[in-house]
Amino acid sequence: MLTYREYLDYAERSLVRVQDDEPASQWQLIPATILAWSAIESFVNNMLDDFASLAPDTFQLHERSFLLENRLRFMNQGENIGQFVLEGKEYRRLDDKIFFLIAKSGGRDLTNVKGETLWQNFELFKDVRDSLVHPRKGKEVSITKEMVDGFIETSKLIIRLVSKNVWKKEVTF
Amino acid sequence: MEIIFNINAKHNSAVKTAVSQFLKTISPLESEHDMPIIVFQDGVKGSYYMKCSLLASDAANLCDLNAKLDVRNPESYRANRELLLNHATYRKMEADSSDGREFNDIIVEYNTDYHSETPLKVWGGQHRISAIKKGGQKKNRYHGFRIYFLLSTEQRTEVALISNTSISVSNDTFDRMVEETIFGNALRNWCRKVGFLNEGEDFPDTGSRTERMTVKRARSFIINFYLGKERGGKLTSDVLDRNVYEPYLATTGVTIDSRYDSIMKNTNILNDPALIEAGQKFFSLHDAQFKAVKSEKTKTKNMKAYRNKALIESVLTGWSYVAGLLQNHPNRLSNHYRLPKSNSKIPDPLNAEEMSQFKHDQDPPTYRGLGTRSALKDRQRIAQLFLAKSCEQEVLIDKTFINKAVSQTVGLIALSKGYT
Repeated sequence: MLTYREYLDYAERSLVRVQDDEPASQWQLIPATILAWSAIESFVNNMLDDFASLAPDTFQLHERSFLLENRLRFMNQGENIGQFVLEGKEYRRLDDKIFFLIAKSGGRDLTNVKGETLWQNFELFKDVRDSLVHPRKGKEVSITKEMVDGFIETSKLIIRLVSKNVWKKEVTF
Repeated sequence: MEIIFNINAKHNSAVKTAVSQFLKTISPLESEHDMPIIVFQDGVKGSYYMKCSLLASDAANLCDLNAKLDVRNPESYRANRELLLNHATYRKMEADSSDGREFNDIIVEYNTDYHSETPLKVWGGQHRISAIKKGGQKKNRYHGFRIYFLLSTEQRTEVALISNTSISVSNDTFDRMVEETIFGNALRNWCRKVGFLNEGEDFPDTGSRTERMTVKRARSFIINFYLGKERGGKLTSDVLDRNVYEPYLATTGVTIDSRYDSIMKNTNILNDPALIEAGQKFFSLHDAQFKAVKSEKTKTKNMKAYRNKALIESVLTGWSYVAGLLQNHPNRLSNHYRLPKSNSKIPDPLNAEEMSQFKHDQDPPTYRGLGTRSALKDRQRIAQLFLAKSCEQEVLIDKTFINKAVSQTVGLIALSKGYT
């Protein structure tokens, strides 16, 4: 499995292959964007796995369902009648995972985080990435080398933000 | 006061004048007893010098630790290496100096060309002089000096070089000497009893060059066993896996580790069956690892670091801590003492190759893998790995198992830093 550093490295390598005067090289912006996004996904998911690996009763059931990306279901029949159980997959949004990790680790106050430049950049990055991964005829995506350069930087800043708030330490790239 | 040139020293009136000037400034012990001063001359570079004893208070006031090689060149800076004031050997030297230690063969040059208020420029023994300046004046003992006069730049460089050329003594040698002096043969005999040393074999004087148990490692093993035992005695089995444990690394060098000292003064290590059993089981693990890597049939690279994976400080301390921790938890202890499984893909029980390739997201890019160094982070992770292994009888230390154990350590540490 690739590490977040490797995803970022491959994103940067794709980006440097894009030549302004060579339209045929523009497609490299697509993998560069997706790889930069995957770097955050990898980092955040691995961090959730660190917590999920602890004894089950370390967390409340709803928190555990979040960590494991399982559905929480109330049973009204069978041997677990009257209880909540974890079952099936229920994927969570990356931004929700980030908020969960920072909030539960006693990190910074998130009240105004969405108004900050970093988060606005993250939202733009997310929209572009979603459009690339889930393409639709009516939704045109336009990306430039400068934008992707910014996505890679945003990816690093988000990873740093999570690391600093959860592990209380900086990561290096 | 009579100044005599030794039979091998050519008479030199300028040197004689310089020596006289020195004796007018400073009063060595020899002056008090009206003893003659002998001037010697080095046979290689022709440098002149005398030997005498100076009081700590005089030495402290007159010695200059910022000696220059070229006294006429304003660009010439302090020539000596930086003082290592936090080094254990220096701290011991300073404490000894306060208690009246008398130092000898301190090499200085009498030179009033710069900083004339401190005319004794130190070339050999700057740590001893620093210790005398800081602590030696309480008891104010005499210390032995070799004092050079009228050195040329070439002669001065030679004095600086010969004063600082020493064959370094490893901490392993210090450990071995101190161990025998303070505790006799107990540790050596314990190592022979459990298998770490053969009959007639001693601890190595430089651990890094051998594939044998060193004094530091043996001490660390014993300390961790008792530390773990003390901690485990306070924990019920349901909370054993909810903590991050901190295996300890024994200090090394001229001062004795205080934890080890306390254990050796209060325990007979040769008479503790639980400690002996732990030692024997650990030796079995080391032996199995060593043989598996050395085997011609194995795919694992026959590298020293892989053969001796068990002896790497993080592995040794983590294993022994868990052995102590589980003393009150017999089923898990029995699992801990079982050798990890191996198979055709992972022929060595400690899976040295995959451990060395392991890296967690938290680790810097330069991290060299699990169980490759002695840092606390590695000791914590290895302890968690062996603790997780003790949950089951048959465990293969593969990549998934390593990942999970380290994830648990990182998760527990993150929680301890402020989970709400």
